[in-house]
Amino acid sequence: MSTNAVPVATEQYDYGIVKKFTIMAMVWGVLGMLAGVYIASELAWPFLNFNIAEITFGRLRPVHTTLVIFGFGGSALFATSYYVVQRTCQARLWGGKLLSEFTFWGWQLAIAAGVLFYVSGYTQGREYAEFIWPVDLLITVVWVAYFVIYAMTMVKRSQPHIYVANWFFMAFILATALLHIFNNLQVPVAWNSLESYALFGGVQDAMTQWWYGHNAVGFFLTAAFLGMMYYFVPKQAGRPIYSYRLSIVHFWALSFLYMWVGAHHLHWTALPDWVSTLAATFSILLLLPSWGGMINGIMTLSGAWEKLRTDPIMLFLITALAFYGMSTFEGPMLSLKSVNALSHYTDWTVGHAHSGALGWVAMITVGSFYHLIPRLWGTTLYSTKLVFVHFWLATIGIVLYIVALWVAGIGQGLMLRAFDQYGNLAYTFIETVSFMHIPYVVRAIGGMFFLSGMLLMAYNVRMTIAGARRPAAASHDAVAAAAR
Amino acid sequence: MKHESIEINSGLLIVLTLAVISIGGLVEIVPLFHIEDTVEDVDGVRPYTPLEIRGRDIYVSEGCYACHSQMIRPFRDEMLRYGHYSLAAESQYDHPFQWGSKRTGPDLARVGGKYSNEWQTQHLVNPQSLVPESIMPGYPWLLETPLDYSQIEERMVALKRAGVPYSQTQEEYDANVEKFGKEMADKLHVPNATQVLEDQAAAENWDGKPGEITEMDALVAYLQMLGTMVDFSKYEDGHFNQFR
Amino acid sequence: MIGDIFAWLGNMENSKPLALILFFSAFVGIILYVYTGKKRKQRLESYRDIPFLDDDDELDPTRQKTQQVNNDESTEEK
Repeated sequence: MSTNAVPVATEQYDYGIVKKFTIMAMVWGVLGMLAGVYIASELAWPFLNFNIAEITFGRLRPVHTTLVIFGFGGSALFATSYYVVQRTCQARLWGGKLLSEFTFWGWQLAIAAGVLFYVSGYTQGREYAEFIWPVDLLITVVWVAYFVIYAMTMVKRSQPHIYVANWFFMAFILATALLHIFNNLQVPVAWNSLESYALFGGVQDAMTQWWYGHNAVGFFLTAAFLGMMYYFVPKQAGRPIYSYRLSIVHFWALSFLYMWVGAHHLHWTALPDWVSTLAATFSILLLLPSWGGMINGIMTLSGAWEKLRTDPIMLFLITALAFYGMSTFEGPMLSLKSVNALSHYTDWTVGHAHSGALGWVAMITVGSFYHLIPRLWGTTLYSTKLVFVHFWLATIGIVLYIVALWVAGIGQGLMLRAFDQYGNLAYTFIETVSFMHIPYVVRAIGGMFFLSGMLLMAYNVRMTIAGARRPAAASHDAVAAAAR
Repeated sequence: MKHESIEINSGLLIVLTLAVISIGGLVEIVPLFHIEDTVEDVDGVRPYTPLEIRGRDIYVSEGCYACHSQMIRPFRDEMLRYGHYSLAAESQYDHPFQWGSKRTGPDLARVGGKYSNEWQTQHLVNPQSLVPESIMPGYPWLLETPLDYSQIEERMVALKRAGVPYSQTQEEYDANVEKFGKEMADKLHVPNATQVLEDQAAAENWDGKPGEITEMDALVAYLQMLGTMVDFSKYEDGHFNQFR
Repeated sequence: MIGDIFAWLGNMENSKPLALILFFSAFVGIILYVYTGKKRKQRLESYRDIPFLDDDDELDPTRQKTQQVNNDESTEEK
């Protein structure tokens, strides 16, 4: 680009790769939530398993978790991190087209291959890390490329200060690399076999897995999406983040504390008590930075609350922060040993995971995407009204989901520990299963609400992009005005 | 060091972030590999036989852990329902561990011997025929699929690399005789694996189809072993509390 | 006296309180650093505006570049 030409952002920055990841995030999001609704329905109406191996709950459940976490969440993070790092460093993505395209195709291949292997019965059997070893290797290579691109873009920046969103993205990339490598140490049965055995066993394996499992939540599903929040909330609100100094404290405290808490998934098990006590302590401490971040995000809108009435995108972003606050309160509570004794192994945990996953992760992503997509394609949203409808479908869906699983989880927990007047167990296990039928039906309906919102969004996005492809002369002024 | 230099130096930011996020994991995980009393010494716990290994593989690949735990907690209701609480030693040869995180169905840590082989097979083929309210999927194909045990020796060698004491040499075999007794040591000897697997499949009519080794044979053999290794009647009440 | 302190530090038994002191003082250090000094406050809070420095220039070419604090040629693609 010559210096005297008008530098157009689409040429100054690499938006092509951002667009690709954005679209795939939508695709995996719809498919992953469809899988989620299906397995939720299998629990409510078990005939849906149809005695077909490939679609039984046990095989489809990792399909659901992988598609929503790594397919939807992962692609959304690639998209937004590539966008944010370029715009806040004012530098084009380092490494050229080839390297970033490699991260795209490598990541998509890993997701697609991973889930096809699960339905065929190939899995490591580690929750949220079910990918078999060849896929793990592919992910490792992709991740190294991602790290290099991200770090080098930061090095090449023209803005002297590294904006805090990039710190969060960087912590996410580093932590995910650590977690992925150490949790996937395994011994393949043979070089030409898809199967392997975990290198660690028993207690050590359990600890490693939940160190991974909870930090996948902490860094993949929290820190990274906080990076998203620190950029898109101020941009959509049109005002800077409430307190930059708070964001610095937030970052260091969160990064330090999260890594300690994984063992709260193993309360009362054969894990030594000191580990789970330590984890519970840190879990409670974690409430402070979590709420610090939530306050920082929500207060950004202070003085401009009326935006919530007119701007459905802002509504998504702020509601996401509210759910973030709720689930980071519920989390420490569930990590108390006395509460955990009741809640562990029940659907309360599943409900908690979804108040974070749907309420925080999905909503902050959806809000960011509604902001991002018109800017990527240089157009305006096809319909703001549909965004409102989407917001209400999503919110109703989440509320139905969480409440149903509170009933199922707390109800089952209480039934299982109930004794009759003679000191015998009051209920058999199968009686608690029957009790959960109604909550399971409501949960599946909640999921359907959320999924229909996603479908609506997919339609809206499709029409927005289609609109951008029509002759661009339409109205430049309208576009610029709408961008405010 | 000035915080400002962190803010403007990406290399420093990366190194410090890495340091900060590593501490928690190091403090909690590393000691578990050193402290002897993480895993208590209990008589009877042994590595899985070749048939049980294959059964466990099927348990893992069907995703049973998504709905069934194998970890009984030390509560009155759980001990009444499932039996003595699980010991670390009992899953020490589990690669990967299958403690689970959710009980959509009951805990299976001590399901071994609670039901007959016929019941287990029938229940896996059609759970609702035995427990009408059950929401478990049926697994009829396990009864139709011949068990693939062509790589059983490679599997045992891989597990051995991960630390499970299967024997390949005479010395290792002798050590196993010492530790687990001759009868068991024979079953844990890699060169015998195929024969041992076939013998165990034939010895009990696991799936009701004699003469044919199916995936159901392996899975039922695995389930019937779960939680049966430690004879708790040999220990005083409360003996294991010291390890918690 | 100094020797006693070193002996205490070298004793693995004391690693827990030592780590606690270390991390807590690092935390307090960060808090103090971040929340003291008027100039530092101004400098740190000025970074809030980074996301707005090249605000939507693809949509409104007239606004771009004028607000960039650090006028560096390297924004241009090489």
